[in-house]
Amino acid sequence: MRILRINMSEETPSAKFEELGDYEGLGGRALTSAIISKEVDPLCHPLSADNKFVIAGGLLSGTAAAMSGRISVGCKSPLTGGIKEANAGGQAAQVMGKLGIAAIVLEGKPKTDDTYKIFINKEGVKIEKDNSLKMLPNYDLVQKMKNQYGDKIACISIGPAGDMKMSAASVAITDMEGRPTRHCGRGGVGAVMGSKGVKVIVLDDTGTTPRQPKDPEAFKDANKRFVAGLQKHPVTGQGLPAYGTNVLTNIINEVGAYPTYNFKEGKFAGARKISGEVQADLEKQRGGNPTHGCHRGCVIRCSGIYHDKDGNYLTKQPEYETVWALGGNCGIDDIDKIAMMDFLCDNYGLDTIEMGATIGVAMEAGLIKWGDADGAINLLHEVGKGTYLGRIIGNGAAFTGKAFGVERVPVVKGQAIPAYDPRAVQGIGVTYATSPMGADHTAGYSIALNVLKTGGFVDPLKPEGQVELSRNLQIATAFIDSTGMCLFIAFALLDQPETNQALIDMINAFYGWNMKDSEVMEYGKKVLKFERDFNTRAGFTKQHDRLPRFFYKEPIPPHNVVFMVKDEELDQLFNW
Amino acid sequence: MRIIIKLFGGLKANRDFPQNEEGDIVLELSEPIAVGEIIETLNLNKKPFIVILNGVNLVDFSTKVKDRDEISLFPPIAGGYR
Ligand code: SF4
Repeated sequence: MRILRINMSEETPSAKFEELGDYEGLGGRALTSAIISKEVDPLCHPLSADNKFVIAGGLLSGTAAAMSGRISVGCKSPLTGGIKEANAGGQAAQVMGKLGIAAIVLEGKPKTDDTYKIFINKEGVKIEKDNSLKMLPNYDLVQKMKNQYGDKIACISIGPAGDMKMSAASVAITDMEGRPTRHCGRGGVGAVMGSKGVKVIVLDDTGTTPRQPKDPEAFKDANKRFVAGLQKHPVTGQGLPAYGTNVLTNIINEVGAYPTYNFKEGKFAGARKISGEVQADLEKQRGGNPTHGCHRGCVIRCSGIYHDKDGNYLTKQPEYETVWALGGNCGIDDIDKIAMMDFLCDNYGLDTIEMGATIGVAMEAGLIKWGDADGAINLLHEVGKGTYLGRIIGNGAAFTGKAFGVERVPVVKGQAIPAYDPRAVQGIGVTYATSPMGADHTAGYSIALNVLKTGGFVDPLKPEGQVELSRNLQIATAFIDSTGMCLFIAFALLDQPETNQALIDMINAFYGWNMKDSEVMEYGKKVLKFERDFNTRAGFTKQHDRLPRFFYKEPIPPHNVVFMVKDEELDQLFNW
Repeated sequence: MRIIIKLFGGLKANRDFPQNEEGDIVLELSEPIAVGEIIETLNLNKKPFIVILNGVNLVDFSTKVKDRDEISLFPPIAGGYR
């Protein structure tokens, strides 16, 4: 496996392959964060030539391991000003792995305003100027690439939001059907790709074979045990396949942790209408599909295909956080309109969480009314078109809050807080406050224990035990994000030690390592250390590891609680 | 005493109970009984795993209900496993 470096500063951008060297043994988030932490000036402007844009598959990407299609992108974030790793499913990680590429690093920046496309196959790398791609939405762009390079490609691309270097711009990854539906959403990673002048990276694995393990028999055996464990566990074997992540709408709403009307209330009257149960039924009725993988090799298949009222493809099955952000958070309870917004965000290349939180702030400002789905759709079009208003919205909740003089802005380190209220679920508040990524539920998903009773139960309404919970989850997650595995395997890993062991055995068999469970935690800590270290050098202090003040002052109904974890305790999170 | 029971994640009661306009089960009880007993009475298609009483994740199923309590039930497929 090698690193492919592409220097975009040169008149004719050049590509060179190099060995992993010091980065040997790192994958996914570990690799992106190590490269950013070691090679990028933490004080650089995120959109400058000094920032780097790193794309990495995980340790097991491109192998026969189930669930190993996660891809990470990393850079200094224009949204948070700190280090960023955002990951997604889709086909690209597998293809990159099979091409023998551990990471693609885009460096420098073109001196002109030109747009480039990069084509990579087993013969090599072609970098071409193609200004006809500028401002194309993702679906049109990908179709154009398919017309040119054939249907078997995988694409990594940006939409107009990335072209315009907006802080809510995502990076799209094509799924099994070759649609740009899986997004490295958070932190404005699309803006950084846009600043490099790269619109799309087209990957073609024709003529390649999967990466081979050091010990094929042990690898096969571990993979079998791993898959059996995922199929046995009720969340990964039944719940996620049947309803997808949106099964959470009803649960989170019933426990009063569903932020509504820009975090004013913890319960939404319209929740049932936009729940996973309703969504799955609609998908079945209209000829979509509620049980579908986002990449080949996924055995959980939490994704799905959403059709419109006429039975035509509209978008992939919107995730819980998307349905919350663009739905309940804004008082919108029309699932078809939410699905339309999901499509628009994918097409324009926008983070659905940041957009939903931003529209919530815009509603708070009185720009449009609560519950106005058409108004919200219109705002997304403004972003896609790049009008002055669109450029405000497209830069996220903090920016929009400032532009319209709004006090209640739900962000940490500039990044919007997702779908779980940190007052009603105190553990997730600790993760939001302390994660080097800014507010990010996936960084330490305490909901598993605080609400879903997976791996144990920690009372969500009390501050006790939350720092330790978040710490352990953040460390374990940093490791999983480095393997290329989808984080949803964690439900089974938390409850079934034998499935956890199967994953470690699989990695050991692949690399010929002898990693123990305790070393897994050391690996995760190493990743977090890269990230914390970068942020410290970028100017972050412990005061940045806090929630916005209103979470400490305004009790949220129905539990009428505030965030109670003390600052001194938050400061202990990385003290392991 | 009247309590409301909400079923989610594909849970269904195996006999008919009176429902409110939301489609939730309305149970009239003459005396307070334990949440666990109520779950038994419902004779559900799957065993509920997450039991929420008035917005709080219930750990002790011997807790007795009060008038106007709301119980929300989810199968293990919707959440945890143990
Ligand atoms: S479980 Fe869902 S997100 Fe994870 S790999 Fe499968 S389809 Fe993708």
